[in-house]
Amino acid sequence: MKSAGPYIWLLPSMLLMVIFILFPIFEVFRTSVSKVSKAGIIKGFAGLDNFTKVLKSPVFGLVLKNTLVWTIVVVGLSTLIGFALALVLNNEFKGRKIARAIVVFPWATSLIIQAGVWKFIIDADYGTLNTLFMKLGLISKSVNWTPTPAAYFAWECWVGIFVTIPFVTFCVLSGLQSIDISYYESATVDGAGFWQKLFHITLPLVRSSLTVSTVLNIIYVFNSFPIIWTITKGDPANRTDTLVTYLYKQAFYKGRTGEAAAISVIGFLILCICASVYMVLSLRKEEQDA
Amino acid sequence: MRKKEKVYIKKAQTPKDKALRVLLYLAVIVLVVVILYPYFVMFTSALKSRAEIYAMKGTLLPIEWEWKNFVDVWKLAPLARYFINSIVVSGGATAIAILCGIPAAYALSRMKFKGKKFFLGLVIISQMFAPVVLLVGIYKIMSLFHLTDTLLALIFINAAFNQAFAIWLLRGTFMSISPEMEQAATIDGCNQVQAMTRVLLPVAAPGIVTALIFVFINAWNEYTVALTLISSDILKPLTVGITIFNGYNMIEWQYLFASSLFATIPVVILFICIEKHLVGGLTSGGVKG
Repeated sequence: MKSAGPYIWLLPSMLLMVIFILFPIFEVFRTSVSKVSKAGIIKGFAGLDNFTKVLKSPVFGLVLKNTLVWTIVVVGLSTLIGFALALVLNNEFKGRKIARAIVVFPWATSLIIQAGVWKFIIDADYGTLNTLFMKLGLISKSVNWTPTPAAYFAWECWVGIFVTIPFVTFCVLSGLQSIDISYYESATVDGAGFWQKLFHITLPLVRSSLTVSTVLNIIYVFNSFPIIWTITKGDPANRTDTLVTYLYKQAFYKGRTGEAAAISVIGFLILCICASVYMVLSLRKEEQDA
Repeated sequence: MRKKEKVYIKKAQTPKDKALRVLLYLAVIVLVVVILYPYFVMFTSALKSRAEIYAMKGTLLPIEWEWKNFVDVWKLAPLARYFINSIVVSGGATAIAILCGIPAAYALSRMKFKGKKFFLGLVIISQMFAPVVLLVGIYKIMSLFHLTDTLLALIFINAAFNQAFAIWLLRGTFMSISPEMEQAATIDGCNQVQAMTRVLLPVAAPGIVTALIFVFINAWNEYTVALTLISSDILKPLTVGITIFNGYNMIEWQYLFASSLFATIPVVILFICIEKHLVGGLTSGGVKG
């Protein structure tokens, strides 16, 4: 009885994840190496046919490039800005509680709603960014903020950054709050400046929080669907597609389930490599510092 | 455990300190303005007429404050129905995620056993796959159970994909509580289940509430799975339902934003309530092996 004990406690959770996550994972891998009819019925083994079809498609390189740019830009910039923001919010000032509550807003709001508002803000014909900038006297006539697909993509990245910042900020803040103030006091006595304290005390001590937030963000941003789907649906001509919007269209618009599953598997492999490289690098760094 | 919060800039004394102080406030103000801007746009646009929104000459504030937009949306779309669906899905997913998560987190924080690492690994792997990547497989399993186009499907998927966070948050909470009281209760004749429910859970209540609210919000804001699995209009949750105002030839922005505000305000308030507890729990429960 005693040896079976812990497993009974884990059973409900285990069942939930096995049925609704592990089984779909298995199905996706199986579908990726199968011949699949338009109706989604598996018609036998296909080897790596689906993968070669995906890799040979002329747009796949573009989609892959977009995905990498999207992930790196959004995670990189939101980590940088989120970190700076945490340093600001860690000071004591009047209204700090209100400021912290406001920073939560983008995190708590559905991505689909966030993306909808930004689509409205940047619209070339009736967008409110033009109105605002004209009232402020920054521009004299309406500017088309999205003249090219690349411009659209840049705005999508901005929305991605905007919604990711709060998570980074709060992870770093929780790390900052566990730092003993005496470190800074003695560093000040020794004549250390702001940057020295930042690089020699703050950064090493919040590194583990930063690693958690970065790894999770790489996964979430890489797999993020609603922002791009709401603003451009990956159009025009796949110019703003990332892997997930591309695979969604393959699966549910074009009925190419096998290829969609192959894209999922490719995406998962890339993600595994990125996340483990990042973890190994940051863990090694930590050991060096210790 | 929690040490006194560190202060970079102490009370303004020298001119340099004063300058830094001004800079700090400036940074905070810029930040708050940028973050609130989309909400300002949402609110003011929800109060405009369609003509005003599409007018050549844009306005910052509505010329006519159309408060009735906030009433009209409930008639123009089955918004009440969407609300109920969202509540059912989020409530159901939260209940399942927490009921499965509590015993798992308890075992992971209080017991030693083989396969603990394996289980934690499974939890992390579940986070590597977003539902959107697995939609092909999710769709298949739901067809197998005849659950496509049902709220039950959304409940299970949201519960499963939030299991990782629920376990991390709960485990973090449980580990921060000393097991001594439970041990004492066991000596007094409680079994392990009683020790957990009567001794640990009341003490861990704040952490459990945090996990509850966090899962609820995630399920409430979920979009992609609902978009794919639900085809009947009356079964759509809010995130999918409000896009009814996003028509083929014209977007009814004022109604879209009015209903978006209704969908957003409750969760923002909930989130502010748990903000303090959330991140500490996430990072501590997730990292420590």
